[in-house]
Amino acid sequence: MSGLLVAVVALPLGAALVLLLLGRRLPDRAAAAGATVVAAITLELAVWAVLEARPWDGAAPGLRVDVPWIPGLGARLHLGLDGVSAPLVVLTALLGLLVCAYTVVVVPRPGRAPALLACLLAVVGGAVATFLALDLLVFFVAFETVLVPMWFVVAVWGDDADVAARRDAAYRFILFTALGSTVMLLGILLVAVRAGTTDLVELASSRGAGLDAGTQVAAAALLLTGLAVKVPAWPLHTWLPPAHTIAPTVGSVLLAGVLLKMGSYGIVRVAVPVVPDGVARLAPGLAAVGVVGILWGGLACLVERDLKRLVAFSSVSHMGFVLVGIASGTQQGLQGALFANIAHGVISSLLFLVVGGIKDRHHSADLARVGSGLRDRAPRLGWLLALGAVAGFGLPGLAGFWGELLAVWGAWAGRDALGAGAPWVAALAALGAALAAAYVLRVLRRVWHGPPAGGPAVPDASATEVAVTAPLVALVVGLGLMPWLLLSLTAPAAAALLGAGR
Amino acid sequence: MTRGVQDVDWVLVSPVVVLVAALLAVLLVDAAVPGRRRLLDGVGLAGVLLAGGAVAWGAAVRDLPAATLCAGAGAGCSYVVSGLTVALQGVTLVAALVVLLLALDGPGARARVEHHALLLAAVAGAVALAAARDLASLVIALETASLPVVALIALRRDARGAEAALKLLLVAVASLGVLLLGVAFVYAGAGTLHLAGLSLLDPDGARRALLLLGLALVVAGAAFKLSAMPFGWWTPDVYAGSPPPVAAFLSTVSKAAATAFVVVVLVVGAPLLVADWTTLVAVLALTTMTVGNLVALRQRVAVRLLAWSTVAQAGWVLLPLAGAGAGLPAAARASVGYLLAYAVASLAAFVVVVLVARHHVDGERHLLEAHRGLVRREPVAAVALAFALANLAGLPPGVMGLVAKVVALGPVVDARSWLVAVLAAANVALGLAYYLRWGALLLARDDAGQAPRVPRLTWDVTPAEGLALGVSAGGCVVLSVLPALVAAPFGGLLG
Repeated sequence: MSGLLVAVVALPLGAALVLLLLGRRLPDRAAAAGATVVAAITLELAVWAVLEARPWDGAAPGLRVDVPWIPGLGARLHLGLDGVSAPLVVLTALLGLLVCAYTVVVVPRPGRAPALLACLLAVVGGAVATFLALDLLVFFVAFETVLVPMWFVVAVWGDDADVAARRDAAYRFILFTALGSTVMLLGILLVAVRAGTTDLVELASSRGAGLDAGTQVAAAALLLTGLAVKVPAWPLHTWLPPAHTIAPTVGSVLLAGVLLKMGSYGIVRVAVPVVPDGVARLAPGLAAVGVVGILWGGLACLVERDLKRLVAFSSVSHMGFVLVGIASGTQQGLQGALFANIAHGVISSLLFLVVGGIKDRHHSADLARVGSGLRDRAPRLGWLLALGAVAGFGLPGLAGFWGELLAVWGAWAGRDALGAGAPWVAALAALGAALAAAYVLRVLRRVWHGPPAGGPAVPDASATEVAVTAPLVALVVGLGLMPWLLLSLTAPAAAALLGAGR
Repeated sequence: MTRGVQDVDWVLVSPVVVLVAALLAVLLVDAAVPGRRRLLDGVGLAGVLLAGGAVAWGAAVRDLPAATLCAGAGAGCSYVVSGLTVALQGVTLVAALVVLLLALDGPGARARVEHHALLLAAVAGAVALAAARDLASLVIALETASLPVVALIALRRDARGAEAALKLLLVAVASLGVLLLGVAFVYAGAGTLHLAGLSLLDPDGARRALLLLGLALVVAGAAFKLSAMPFGWWTPDVYAGSPPPVAAFLSTVSKAAATAFVVVVLVVGAPLLVADWTTLVAVLALTTMTVGNLVALRQRVAVRLLAWSTVAQAGWVLLPLAGAGAGLPAAARASVGYLLAYAVASLAAFVVVVLVARHHVDGERHLLEAHRGLVRREPVAAVALAFALANLAGLPPGVMGLVAKVVALGPVVDARSWLVAVLAAANVALGLAYYLRWGALLLARDDAGQAPRVPRLTWDVTPAEGLALGVSAGGCVVLSVLPALVAAPFGGLLG
């Protein structure tokens, strides 16, 4: 059954290659339909793989592929599926399906859909490979795989109102993230040359033994800095708002739901278990960066006028909670981080689909241009926006609540890692959650509430939009009401990452 | 062994002998049966292929490292075939093969005999260089590898060719002067020209200073040929004035020769002084890649962009040596591995640029804009170029280039040279910007209303050009799937 892991990576990548080669010989609609079928099969394979791997039973990866690759570097093609990767693999495959299905109806630039779909599928394949990789070099290669396709999505299919802004956003995205990943590579290389292996299972089980304190701190600093760009953590987040603003809806969804997750996943997978002492030394700094990100993103959202930028800044804020949870070094905190990671992926994807729809209708995502009374003008769209927004500020009973609650709780309890600052971290993060309520209510008041704005009538959410957002709505509600579904999936792996079995 | 007469192991020196024999055969064929162009091409290609066979033969039947041309009484050997030698000779010959194929219908067609003879001479020099282990042989081999290129450029017989050839000649003369001065200092400090003897020295005081000054000058002399900054300013002008296949030769075969020179002199010749020369190499490598990348950002002419990109890549070839303190063989391996990946990717890019130049009204002076929408007109060439650029940038799908970057950074990280490592990492991002710009142009659609600068005809690609594209692009693909060779181009001892 280990072939499932290869298939779930190879299928989208192979389909991307085929789409690229067929190019314009394929009509848009046919390409999108084909890609949707491929993405659906990928999702099915991903779910099947998770069921086979049974991550809720134990921490060890239930499915594995391990073949030699580059003997000179000791790198092996080592893939595995465990509780940390399982939810992300499924989320990635699901979002891949949704964006492909969305493209059947909404083509950002008619006539060029095959290439767009190829890029989207390549991002999905690369991200799934990242989440499955159990070898540092394979992880790095997979991590880099998403860069070029995503750059094309932003640079070619981005908002063409302002060509210079589009170019700027695309280059900013790739230069920031490529610089970040090269810094991460330095950390990976340091671990590899000092520990003498690139195998993540081996490295995680030795828990940094054989790496002296200086090496651990240096490696942790490099890994965390590099990955923080991708997360993105304040102050390295400045590439995200422009990229989100310019990217087409499908690009924004993958950016928020998949790419950012690669950063936080990398911290959990590559930094925390491999150089535990180094991460512990830097944990207060990581927590501080997370808290500043939470507050910074929240404050920016209070004054931001562009809906897409607003969701982007709220992403910075939400990913801050993930960082705080990881930095706390506690089981609750880490579980909360993993939960918040998934919840943010679901919620922000939903929000970007809705906001993208709003922008397409009003030709602007400016709060003033969109105008008030969306709940009356386009009730279905309005309710989707409202649901995403209140889930975003962590309304109990919706997905956003549990992760951030656990992260804050973890920080409160994280005196071992954070020292005397732990209660402050928790308090400030909680303050950030209150900020989130304020900015979400501001948006709802300006857009959702109030008398219907004048101007041309806008069509309500189409059947496609409803169908594409429906799984996300179900997840937002489902994860909110039954958080233990996800928590039990990640629990054994999270415990193992923190070395509970020592 | 009688004095003055050295034992020669003909198996080991056979690659050089084969190339020289092919050179003579080209001249003889032309004298005996003039005007037989296919035969001349065949002799040239056969020479390169047979030399490749000879390298493999030597590696197979001898226990490496194997030495010959030894001076008496353990003073050292002038010709040593080790894993390092075989790897460098392999890179050189593969590059030479592709360049020769590319030139058959270009500069090679105008003056076939001269072109083939000069090219074979230069390749023979480069192949001998990889095995040479005394400073005199090294210098002679390096000059043999570089001086014929001046004549190759001059074969254009026009003003631009003459200017470029003159420029390269001046550079060659200047670098030779620096090189010989350096050799003289080293000899004064060490009392031997054999690297075997040199490698044992770790003197103090004035002798050490003399030795290091000599080594610095020797490396500077080679840095001219490697287009390392601040010695490589000639590169874009000469590339732009050369026939593009000759520029491809300069950027691959000549660069391989210069790399071989630097690696052999420093790693084999001065292992005990490693702590002193790593700083020098670090400065050289970082200056080279930073200047190359920064200037490349502003380039609009395709050949000039490629020229500056090869400058930047030369920095990456040198980079691992800056981390040699943590392990000499690993650093040398990384350097040669990067060279291999760079040469293959650079060749693929050059082949496509040559093809565009041949079919574009602006010829060799064509701007990057001429590549706009190439994927619609020439999908195979455009995809090959895009893939080559991804490899040069070191981003997937160019896994070969990515692994090469990993390999090159490894020794630097191992040596904990954090400043060097971080600056090199920043250069990765710098390089991305222009490779991506070029790649995006290939895939962009033609702007509506603008007449296409290239006539909408499919190219008539000759078999030799097709083969050149196939070998280089195929090499990129194979090494991207199985990058083992890039990670460890040779094993065992350096010799």
